[in-house]
Amino acid sequence: MGYIELNVLDNAPKLVVIGIDLGTTNSLAAIWRDGRPEVLRVEGEPALVPSVINVRPDGSLVVGRSARALAIEDPEHTVFSVKRFMGRGLGDLDIDLANTPYQVTETESKLVQIHLRGRVFTPQELSAFILRAVVQQAERALDGATVASAVITVPAYFDDAQRQATRDAARLAGIEVLRIVNEPTAASLAYGLDQRKEGTVVVYDLGGGTFDVSILSIEDGVFQVRATNGDTHLGGDDIDRLLMGLARQALAGKVDDTVFQDATFQQAARLAAEKCKIALSNDPVADLVISLPELRVNLRRPVAREEFEALIDPLIERTFVCCRRALDDAGLAVGEIDEVVLVGGSTRIPYVRRRVEAMFGQKPHTQLNPDEVVALGAAAQAEVLMGGRRDILLLDVTPLSLGIETVGGAVAKLIQRNSTVPCSVKEGFTTYVDNQTGIDFHVVQGERELARDSRTLGRFQLKGIPPMPAGMPRVGVKFHIDADGMLTVTAKEESTGTTSSIEVKPMHGLTDGDVDRMLEESYSRAKEDFEERRRVDLVAELGTMLRHTHANIGVAKSRLDRESFEDLTDAIAAAEAAQGSLDLPTVQAARDALDRATIPLAAVLMDDVVKQAVSGKKLSEV
Amino acid sequence: MTPTDPKSHAGHTHQHVLGVPHVCTSCGAGLETPLACGDCGTMLTPSSEVSPYAVIGLEVAYEVDPKDLAQRVRKVARLVHPDFFASAGTTMRALAEAHGARLNEAHEILKNDVRRADWIVRHLGGPSEEQERQMPQSFLMEVLEWNEALDEGASAPPGSTERLALGPLEDELAAQRARTLALVAQALDPLPERGSAALTAVRRDLNAIRYLDRALRRLRDLRIGQPS
Repeated sequence: MGYIELNVLDNAPKLVVIGIDLGTTNSLAAIWRDGRPEVLRVEGEPALVPSVINVRPDGSLVVGRSARALAIEDPEHTVFSVKRFMGRGLGDLDIDLANTPYQVTETESKLVQIHLRGRVFTPQELSAFILRAVVQQAERALDGATVASAVITVPAYFDDAQRQATRDAARLAGIEVLRIVNEPTAASLAYGLDQRKEGTVVVYDLGGGTFDVSILSIEDGVFQVRATNGDTHLGGDDIDRLLMGLARQALAGKVDDTVFQDATFQQAARLAAEKCKIALSNDPVADLVISLPELRVNLRRPVAREEFEALIDPLIERTFVCCRRALDDAGLAVGEIDEVVLVGGSTRIPYVRRRVEAMFGQKPHTQLNPDEVVALGAAAQAEVLMGGRRDILLLDVTPLSLGIETVGGAVAKLIQRNSTVPCSVKEGFTTYVDNQTGIDFHVVQGERELARDSRTLGRFQLKGIPPMPAGMPRVGVKFHIDADGMLTVTAKEESTGTTSSIEVKPMHGLTDGDVDRMLEESYSRAKEDFEERRRVDLVAELGTMLRHTHANIGVAKSRLDRESFEDLTDAIAAAEAAQGSLDLPTVQAARDALDRATIPLAAVLMDDVVKQAVSGKKLSEV
Repeated sequence: MTPTDPKSHAGHTHQHVLGVPHVCTSCGAGLETPLACGDCGTMLTPSSEVSPYAVIGLEVAYEVDPKDLAQRVRKVARLVHPDFFASAGTTMRALAEAHGARLNEAHEILKNDVRRADWIVRHLGGPSEEQERQMPQSFLMEVLEWNEALDEGASAPPGSTERLALGPLEDELAAQRARTLALVAQALDPLPERGSAALTAVRRDLNAIRYLDRALRRLRDLRIGQPS
């Protein structure tokens, strides 16, 4: 069970532990229940929460489906794919920023900042809003249970800064992180539990923004990652971008060039590209449709599947370079792979499936829902961490080598990529001049030989070395990569036993002070943000209900008794007035009243169809 | 918990491995690993000197059966992995992190022929790679030749004669590596005398393998695609 029994009192809030897949495009949660992982969804609603944030004119925030619905209407204040900004600086984000309708800047420590309606957000804060929306949905799905802590997944190829950013986002969202787990590893766990098979498995995970490949051996319930590889900037977003390129080509010369810079056009093109891509998974030809009369844009560009496949082929080739490197690192030949598991929405593309099948010489396993399998695995891992299951164990690896810059700018590798975590290495440092009390060192991640070609993980400053002649101090620095795949550094002067302190300057990251300040700000904002989100959801729901009701108003008039009809018209009037209201209780009351007032009408309509009484049914359910 | 002094447990039936604690300080059961007790689950705190072999309950020997090794590692991982202490206190979590890292380090050394040989040479008092830097002139000439071919192949376009020549070169170097490693295996099985000249010969072979591995890594990256 994924529950912590804290209190036996019936009315005490039940505390639960969940797994969260914080995705580039969509996020969702799952829980371990009755011996298996289960996706958390509120009845009648999709489980996926779009990873989209919109800032309203009054500065409040909307997250998820409602935010996505505002994308075209209010493109300048709608953020998609914030995961691609996590732990990154502006220099890494050329492609992502080319079509961004909002302003993005960078702080001195290369932390990205997104400007929306005069407020400044870090990617960590925006991700925290998504996490909070996922947790709120999970809590609603669990009838008001409280989420105590969570396992959160990240792409396997995320580096330290990206993992740290994810952890900080969870902290800002007020979620205790039980463990950061790699997405393909979580997926393999869900697969392994579902299929009860052992052997060597490849997880090919092509998501909205990232690609991972992991090779695991499953034996005696131990899921051991043999090698992982990937690209944290390769996914469905890039496929959309290629289709957007087609749209621009087709419009070139026909519309003013400035249209391409227009935020509404960009969001519309992006949504059209996504729609076309999805349609092409079923149909041989699909249209790219962008219709924006106010910009004099009216595009219908048919895209044949063959053209689409040729277009995305270079991206698929890039994934195979990662696959070959992973196979090589694992010391395995293609023939030694027992099963290939597909994860991530982009693996729904038939061409991807065909190419993967050719690459590995076997049909990939597609029985699991590629959107849900990561969250399911995270829930299973949460169960292990809570002590519920001791028969399964994940042994994961660090995706990138860890090194320090040496004299001359070369990188001395301390920990090789694909080392099983946790792992530690100790390195000795000494001083160059007499009475030197501090040493600086530069830690990098990646496979390159020169420090300037590598990603900086952090610059560390050793302090408090006892004054001694040069070369005398023996400072032992211990680098430890923990089970979350994150680095901690500790130091000790060994000749005297003094513990030296280490100061880290995070790259693209938040300091503890930043997190505390943001937390304080967000507490005051949280209530407003939540209420606004709820209000926007309710207004959307009201709209749907009103449409249904108006469509049947004639029936209502002729068939309902007078009292019921008057109730209904009163409720409609109140609901229409409430659509423009900014006050949550007003909107809520109007929605509830309309809901109640439509019950008699629903009964009449249902009666007409099936000639049987329905009591308690609402119009929206008929 | 303190490291156990093996001498105070004279008369036990379990093997001594390099002066490693062999019975649980908590329940007295025999230990398969000095990191934790398989019987009562107590985490132990052996000194940092414990050898990678002892960590997984093996006697020092060059030959290691990969299957047996993997099985032993899984068994110890089930006792010490941080996942099983996620809801325990800070101290236990830290201990599990440290023990997990020790287990993984031992595994990395023992599963890798070269690292295992390197560890044995040091363990038996042989020269370190820094101490034994001399390589035969003829070998260094060979290295220069590969590197030249490699540089030419790397800068030539795919499909060119220079690039195609890298295929046979990779095969040749891989074969040379296998031959050199076979010499290492032969010299270390059975284990040579502590401080013997055989260890210096092994060190030279290991150094040669390092040169070969560096070239093979570059060849592999060119074949598969550059690391990002």
